[in-house]
Amino acid sequence: MAEIQFREAIRQAMVEEMRRDESIFLMGEEVAEYHGAYKVSQGMLAEFGSKRVIDTPISENGFSGLGIGAAMNGLRPIIEFMTFNFSFVAFDQIINNAAKIRYMSGGQFRVPIVFRGPNGAAGQLGATHNTSTESIFATLPGLKVVSPSNPDDAKGLLKTAIRDDNPVLFLESEVMYGMKGDVSEDEDYLIPIGKARMAREGEDVTIVAHGRSYWVALKVADRLSADGYSAEVIDPRTIRPLDIESIVASIKKTNRCVIIDESTPFAGISAEITYQIQELAFDYLDAPIARITAKDTPAPYAKNLMEYYMPGEDDAYEACRRVMYL
Amino acid sequence: MAIPVEMPKMSDTMEEGVVVAWMAEEGQEVAAGDIIAQVETDKATMDLEVYDDGVLLKRVVEEGDAVPIGGLIAVLGSKGEDISDLLARYAGSSGDGAAATKPAKDQDGSVAEALVSEPEPENKQASATAPPEELVTQTGRVKSSPLARKLADDHGIDLAAVPGTGPEGRIIKRDIEARMGESLVGKGARKDEARRLRVATLSTGRPSSVEGGYESVGISQMRKTVARRLAESKFGSPHFYLTADLAMERAVAARKQINEITEAQGLARISFNDLITKACAHALREHRWINASYLEQEGEVRLHNDIHVAVAVAVDDGLITPVIRHADEKGLSEIASETRALAERARAKELQPEEYSGSTFTTSNLGMFGIDEFTAIINPPNACILAIGTIRDVPVVEEGEVIAGKRMKITLSCDHRIVDGATGARFLATVRKYIEDPLTLLL
Repeated sequence: MAEIQFREAIRQAMVEEMRRDESIFLMGEEVAEYHGAYKVSQGMLAEFGSKRVIDTPISENGFSGLGIGAAMNGLRPIIEFMTFNFSFVAFDQIINNAAKIRYMSGGQFRVPIVFRGPNGAAGQLGATHNTSTESIFATLPGLKVVSPSNPDDAKGLLKTAIRDDNPVLFLESEVMYGMKGDVSEDEDYLIPIGKARMAREGEDVTIVAHGRSYWVALKVADRLSADGYSAEVIDPRTIRPLDIESIVASIKKTNRCVIIDESTPFAGISAEITYQIQELAFDYLDAPIARITAKDTPAPYAKNLMEYYMPGEDDAYEACRRVMYL
Repeated sequence: MAIPVEMPKMSDTMEEGVVVAWMAEEGQEVAAGDIIAQVETDKATMDLEVYDDGVLLKRVVEEGDAVPIGGLIAVLGSKGEDISDLLARYAGSSGDGAAATKPAKDQDGSVAEALVSEPEPENKQASATAPPEELVTQTGRVKSSPLARKLADDHGIDLAAVPGTGPEGRIIKRDIEARMGESLVGKGARKDEARRLRVATLSTGRPSSVEGGYESVGISQMRKTVARRLAESKFGSPHFYLTADLAMERAVAARKQINEITEAQGLARISFNDLITKACAHALREHRWINASYLEQEGEVRLHNDIHVAVAVAVDDGLITPVIRHADEKGLSEIASETRALAERARAKELQPEEYSGSTFTTSNLGMFGIDEFTAIINPPNACILAIGTIRDVPVVEEGEVIAGKRMKITLSCDHRIVDGATGARFLATVRKYIEDPLTLLL
């Protein structure tokens, strides 16, 4: 184990995989000469050359389609979006081609492609650059959606995503790129997609939180602990396929659940998780499931409003106490 | 369009409900959520809400009428609407309707609760028309968390009898656990509770208490039941009281002697209360009109063949009357051990309905609190209840000499509808004979 940054963990995953498989290449805006807008691909052009680390024009629909075509013909592209807000430009390619070609061709074509980049809010970026895209992509059969919360998970999950024969949306966070953590140095460090991580065991309430929200959950768990209660924190890590079994197992123990999610609430990930819990663990619930999400509006720009907009620690803490009837 | 209001299934064991009071008049406009009547089930009296807006066109049944589940209670609709078709449909379907018949789910389950030993319903036939499922769940609704419902089901707890402490009275896990009693609550839960209390103390600096003049406490189902049944009994049946002062010297001596034997044989110790239970049971054999029920609705007096003596037991949030069945056929030691076991189970809230229902006579003893004498309220549908005071050391006159004696006052409350003064007095004389001279119990 070595302590490295989140961005380095992602780079290690890409570099290690590109060394072991020549069909893998990285493509996106500023990924080569500029080393990536967030320096994730630092040094990769020098090692792999311009045929495998490719700068593109500002044309997401174009280079996404290019990647999908390459994947259909045997290569394994990694497409970097400077931010997932720009993936909206490439919706037709992602939704109608990447997600559906394998199905429509009766399995004759596979699409082993990874779309990765920062997702969700990152401070004062305004309404159009703060979108959490999890539920937008996760609603589509044919796509896998991964959202790691720490460097180690990021490396293990990205390596698995690259080796996966299906399109994977790999959602990072701009504000987490500098986060440090111990990361495995095993070259075959693969964390299975679809397995949640039990981050902290507890008895009184289950908090489900992925990505950046996971860190909010840990703080809430600390505060509850000071009150004399133990929260179980579960990081799903993968949005789709969702490891609902782990969540349900936890709720059978705690009988209550709070979901923290930076997406907007309507038809968001929290809504799906809530549905599945009530379907599978109805008889184990002692309180309605609570969710703390972004407010149901476009993101504001002003700093104070942005703070209000995002799912906050205080709200999550109160929600936990509420479902515990305190 | 006319809307039928049917008898909902308000509890698992309910087969029929009695419309005890109408809360709305014919011709009155009602809105969804309004309470139009109160319905008494085998468990409790509940409000009957309507789920539609409209005019109450007809009250199909009278107050006091029993209606099977799915039976027609009232008709809603718009003013002046012709409802004869609907009425005919219900009238017609009550006879046959095999397909529509909802089978009586739990024939033996029609049980009474504390102080509610209602007579068996004459007609246990299930209703002719099955209510739509959603109506059942809507009207029989007790607010409770899914987990609480499951726990209640697992442990045979009637949700209707559990006070909810969650938001808007929702019954939650801790309410069921409280109901299950300490004996069933796991170690973890106790720790949890202690921690919760500690936390409550920490966060406010002192135990949460009231600022002002009173503390508001919700009325528990048990309190409601006690209140309703006893008010019904006290105001519905004219009570009169007969007190006798019994000489206890022989009983005290006999008990001492008996307990030397029970001790030697490892049997349950006999209390005075057990002796009294036994004496009453024997006396009841000779006084059938005391071992009886006045059933106004059924239009009859029932002289019970069996003698089941209930013994009032104080529990945390009320009282309950476990029953010693066939007490006249049981020996003192058996009565003693059974009473002890039932009282313990009562305090642990583990009593099953069949253990506290079906009594034919009840005793209540406050002697252990030093009460000389008191009057008890009859436990319906019993005809009488015996209130037992403490044994007092008193000077008594015997053959012109004042000597130290032991006396105990017992007071019989009688329902004058079936028991007259002389009847009660004769019964009390027999009880006196047995207690003052316990050897006569052997005859």
